[in-house]
Amino acid sequence: MLTNKMNHSPSRIYLQLKIDVIAIGLLILALCTRLYKLDEPRHIVFDELHYGRYVSLYTKGVFFFDAHPPLGKQLLYLAGSIAGYDGNFTFDRIGTPYTDNVPVKALRLVPAVSGSFLVLITYFLMLELSLHQWTAILAALLVLLENCFLAQSRFMLLESIQILFGLCGVYCIIKSTKRIGLTALVWLCAAAVLLGCCFSVKYSGLYTYYLSLFLVGRHIWLQLDQIKSGTRLLFSALWRFAVLLIIPLAVYVSVFYMHLSMLPKAGPHDSVMTSAFQASLQGGLASITHGQPLHVAHGSQITLRHTHGRTCWLHSHAHVYPVRYADGRGSSHQQQVTCYSFKDVNNWWIVKRPDQASLAVSRPPDAIRHGDIVQLLHGITSRALNSHDVAAAVSPQSQEVSCYIDYNVSMPAQNLWRVDIVNRDSEESTWDSIRSLVRLVHVDTGSGLRYSGRQLPAWGFHQHEIVADKVLSHQDTIWNVEEHRYTKADDRKERERELVTAEMIPTAVTQLTFWEKFTELQYKMIAHAPDAPHGHMFASEPAEWPLLVRSIAYWLSPDSNAQIHLIGNIVTWYTGTISVVVYSALLAIYSVRKRRACEDLPPFVLNKFYETGYTLFLGYWLHYLPYFFIDRTLFLHHYLPAYIFKILLLAYIMDHIYLVLQLHEKTKHVTNLFILCVTIWLSYIVLTFKKFSVLNYGNVDLKENDLMSLRWKDTWDFILHKKI
Amino acid sequence: MTHKLQGNVHESNLFQSKTTIWWITFSLLCGATFLTRYYKVLEPDHVCWDETHFGKMASWYINRTFFFDVHPPLGKMLIALSGKLSGYDGTFPFEKPGDKYDGARYQGMRLFCTTLGALVIPLTFLSIWEMTKSLEATFIGTLLLLCDVGFMTLNRYILLDPILLFFMSCSIYGCFKVSTLTNDGLLPFSPRMLSWQIFLGTSLACTMSVKFVGLFVVLFVGLRTVADLWNILGDLSKPVKFTITHLIVRTLTLIVWPFVLYVFFFWIHLTVLSKSGNGDGFYSSGFQARLEGNSLHNASAPRVLAYGALVTLKNHRTGGGYLHSHHHLYPAGVGARQQQITTYTHKDENNRWQIKPYNRERVEGTVVVRSGDLVRVTHAPTGRNLHSHRERAPLTAKHLQVTGYGEDGVGDANDVWKIVISGGKDGEEIQTVRSKLMLVHYLQACVLTTTGKQLPKWGYEQQEVSCNPNLRDKNALWNIEDNVFDDLPKVSFESYASGFLERFYESHAVMFQGNSGLKPKEGEVTSQPWQWPINYRGQFFSGSTHRIYLLGNPVVWWTNLAFLIIFFLVYIINSIKEKRAEAFGVSRQVGEGSLLLNAAGWTFIGWALHYIPFWAMGRVLYFHHYFPALVFSSMLTGILTEYLLSSVRSYLSPELGKTAYHCIIGVVISTTVYSFYLFSPLAYGMSGPLASEPNSTMAGLKWLESWEF
Repeated sequence: MLTNKMNHSPSRIYLQLKIDVIAIGLLILALCTRLYKLDEPRHIVFDELHYGRYVSLYTKGVFFFDAHPPLGKQLLYLAGSIAGYDGNFTFDRIGTPYTDNVPVKALRLVPAVSGSFLVLITYFLMLELSLHQWTAILAALLVLLENCFLAQSRFMLLESIQILFGLCGVYCIIKSTKRIGLTALVWLCAAAVLLGCCFSVKYSGLYTYYLSLFLVGRHIWLQLDQIKSGTRLLFSALWRFAVLLIIPLAVYVSVFYMHLSMLPKAGPHDSVMTSAFQASLQGGLASITHGQPLHVAHGSQITLRHTHGRTCWLHSHAHVYPVRYADGRGSSHQQQVTCYSFKDVNNWWIVKRPDQASLAVSRPPDAIRHGDIVQLLHGITSRALNSHDVAAAVSPQSQEVSCYIDYNVSMPAQNLWRVDIVNRDSEESTWDSIRSLVRLVHVDTGSGLRYSGRQLPAWGFHQHEIVADKVLSHQDTIWNVEEHRYTKADDRKERERELVTAEMIPTAVTQLTFWEKFTELQYKMIAHAPDAPHGHMFASEPAEWPLLVRSIAYWLSPDSNAQIHLIGNIVTWYTGTISVVVYSALLAIYSVRKRRACEDLPPFVLNKFYETGYTLFLGYWLHYLPYFFIDRTLFLHHYLPAYIFKILLLAYIMDHIYLVLQLHEKTKHVTNLFILCVTIWLSYIVLTFKKFSVLNYGNVDLKENDLMSLRWKDTWDFILHKKI
Repeated sequence: MTHKLQGNVHESNLFQSKTTIWWITFSLLCGATFLTRYYKVLEPDHVCWDETHFGKMASWYINRTFFFDVHPPLGKMLIALSGKLSGYDGTFPFEKPGDKYDGARYQGMRLFCTTLGALVIPLTFLSIWEMTKSLEATFIGTLLLLCDVGFMTLNRYILLDPILLFFMSCSIYGCFKVSTLTNDGLLPFSPRMLSWQIFLGTSLACTMSVKFVGLFVVLFVGLRTVADLWNILGDLSKPVKFTITHLIVRTLTLIVWPFVLYVFFFWIHLTVLSKSGNGDGFYSSGFQARLEGNSLHNASAPRVLAYGALVTLKNHRTGGGYLHSHHHLYPAGVGARQQQITTYTHKDENNRWQIKPYNRERVEGTVVVRSGDLVRVTHAPTGRNLHSHRERAPLTAKHLQVTGYGEDGVGDANDVWKIVISGGKDGEEIQTVRSKLMLVHYLQACVLTTTGKQLPKWGYEQQEVSCNPNLRDKNALWNIEDNVFDDLPKVSFESYASGFLERFYESHAVMFQGNSGLKPKEGEVTSQPWQWPINYRGQFFSGSTHRIYLLGNPVVWWTNLAFLIIFFLVYIINSIKEKRAEAFGVSRQVGEGSLLLNAAGWTFIGWALHYIPFWAMGRVLYFHHYFPALVFSSMLTGILTEYLLSSVRSYLSPELGKTAYHCIIGVVISTTVYSFYLFSPLAYGMSGPLASEPNSTMAGLKWLESWEF
């Protein structure tokens, strides 16, 4: 400890400066390794492709859709905008060199600094878990000398930010459980903010949040038989959970608030969202739909969009269903109705009340309300939307939907549809463009107009199939009006001309409240099925992670064999895996011994074994086990949040062994031997770290022999340029 | 003295009357069970729902033809056995639901399943009794299950579920019996203990061998056993050795013995199905060589591959076909316009290929192909070489296209492939059937594979073959099946045929692959786990004039659901109370209440084990997957009702308590029975208009919009 005392003036104000040398030393070491030649390589490395692209979009304020929450990307953007990034770089593929306008160093600084502080926080966390200082240093060194954390911190990736927030949160939680009164509250609030940030970076941060909830819950449980006053107990439980629920949620919501207010402009990802959402952005759909009439009325010309899931519009064209399908079933041979994913003049339909002949909209417009029966005429062909008891083309369990052609056979038109407004406020509510979600129920059969999700064969131009389905509750039966205008002319030729040459005069803006946008975005993020390529070359399975079966290639230099891989320090990695096994075994042995009333260890050692051990042990499994149930392409970097807990557990196990050896006279002299072993092991780790760091910095051209000497497992795939 | 004697007499009288009441209740419930289950059991006389599958499979067993299914064999074998014994000859086609039986003797199979399904009720009775020793709890729990219409419907047809539920109930009963015996301090080797444990082990093996969901009950019994052993361990008056003996006996009876049985059932399965059938294609060449009537049966071929041999190459993926080519080109726009290469699951002249060295047309004498050799593979009927180049494959964008190229075996450098035995060393001889081969393209460094995707019409809907730059592709393994070469001595295929253990292992690999392949397609309505406990939607078993709809009795189901929540609350409150009591130094009291709560806890664990895992499953789920959990849930309701009633009773005066208690029990019983009466048409068959129309007899019973009867 170093204390500086400075005497400024006679009034004797003291400025006391205390510096924890060890902590500072660790931080400096970490910064050195993490920041060394940070802007090399000046190429797009791995997922910088995505995150960099998002930063550009933030800079331009263009809306985008991503399945991860936005905080991490916002932090990157912040660094980028301070460094003056203008957003004019297209992140097209991995390996493209950056141009000079991209502040690579600034963008990479955020993860790099987070990764450095990660070393620091492990040190403090281990101290807080009341472990020996040497153990804390060991843990911090293990994190420092871990190639995978080094690789993950040096590029625009989010894991190091997420893990830093998570560990800081856990640290504050532990602080809070050890204090009482106001200090406990302050620490808990800090923890809640950090945890909220943690899962606003990546959803896997939720596991850290669950761990914290468990820690607090357990703390309260342990108080149950300590505190006599029931009201005090209830009060302490209530405020803790209130803080832990409300603050992280508030952080999460406000991050999204910023996200949405930072991105006001329409962009390439719009089509994922509903029409209402799109219309609330500047440009894009909004510029088309501004000023269109609100209430759908008799005579309205509309396009009907499939609201949830795939973006497409109800469509028809002057082609009929084939008389016989490939499997021998027959069809009605009437005009095809499909769902088409592009804007087209054939997407226009005219709403008509069955009893009125003229199509021009009267004044005032005869608005359609919930429960009304209407017909839908296809704008270009003037045929009515029809359904009947004929099996659909690709989904034979549902009814076919067609535009009715009168072949004069005994198959009458069944073209009445009931308008069922799903999000109505009252039974009388009108059918509004964009806002109303409607279900069109076929009057004769009670089936609903539905997007089936299947594609038609070549005769249907590979457009998507539309059916009428008995199950109304499916979300694919929901539609909304997107573009909308009133028919002015009654003559058919005029109408067609109107359709083709229509132009809109903007008068009003669609407004969505933040909450509506927020809930929709949440829903889409959850429902979004990532179409990550299955069978990615470097994908791996959860079961392969503890043994480091696969690495991930992040980057390969275009003109040499310098390359970057995400690969762990295999010595730490394997001892870490062993430590999990050792902890489980000790847990079983100690429990059995205790059950037989044998006291081998003094209570304080045993207590620490349970208290500290389970926090880390549980943390590891909470971050690891869920991946076995996730049906997605997974990569090694998904394991990192679990892995840091494993490293902490490893350090703890060392601490425990040392303590146990110290306890008995007989084994006391072995402790020196043990320390020697640990030192040798640690130097081994340093060597491995150094050997593999060429794969983190990517600044050394590697010869074939070098790569072969690094290939310690034959499941690791490194890349070599072909010799020409 | 006389006083004491009188007391004894009184007690034994009481005991006797209690046993009499027990027997009366038990036989009453059994009688009711069999009455309700056998009533109209042979109606409708057409194929209902999944009977079409399991009936078909029973026929295959009777005809001994091989087939493929995702479930283990015991259930289907039992159905087949019952059919065989009752005179069914295996000729009815079971084509689709609704087909009339027309004299086919389905009665035996249906009665067999119904009987097993009915036995679940008495077994549940015994299980709850074993747990609680409380007749009221037992009675209510069993009654709920008895009066559940859905449970009855599911257990009356030729399905696997009644068999599964029967063995599952046996396991539950056995498990609690063993547990009681352990608590009574029986020695591990005492005959009574041993025989119950063997009963338990057998039931577990049977459950597992009917459907893989049996695994959950195995887990349940595992937990219960660990708890038992933990209790034994905690008894400090006994030596540790005692626990170890218990552990050893349990390992033998509950792990080793069931495993042996399980393997034995598969042995029967594989022995009975000795003839070739429609499932052959799913299995490897070695497997097929065992099946009578398969072209590999009793065939013979040279043991090793020599240059110039005519061969067929079979892909190693489940259901993988033969490497195939034909006189048609890839259409314009799909890579180079060269000859198509596909995989084809049927045997065909166009599957024949000739292996040549990379640089010569012909080899003098007999030269054996070795792993690591560079070869060309020429399609025998058309004379084109297997070829790949830098064009994207037709369906999989990341792979390279594979074509047939050249004239009469003369092509270019892109026809050269390196033939490698997977996991073997360079220079090993390549063997027929046995060797797993990889064909690595020499210039592009990609591996010949099939993606399993179907080509469009231009490719005759055969499967895509491509060249994958990722050499770790699991589908890139091939084996030589036919091998025609005259200069080498032929070896009978018998020697290649897989042994029992290989076939046992392979059937499992195929089953798991089949199971994970059951994914819902885009836009398909599937049943979701959250819908099950609230009885959200049922399942039609039979349509038209005799409609049967699988739907739980809502009174029973919603009560069960409420009691699950109540249990959760009661348990938490109770734990907090106990913990709080410690703060004031009051120790907890052990009474009947804690026995009941403990039993309720175990049934809750059982329910959770049989329900929660479905949330994490990616495969297609059905409503009937919930019924094993329902058994536990009903038990829980019975036990918890008794627990709550007796707690309430303890607050009231004895007189009032007794009256209230009996009133409530009476109300519970009569509501349950009446609701059964109301909803029984769902199981016994409805006719007339659907319930959505007002003139239907069931109109008043459509309590939820989503019910479709």
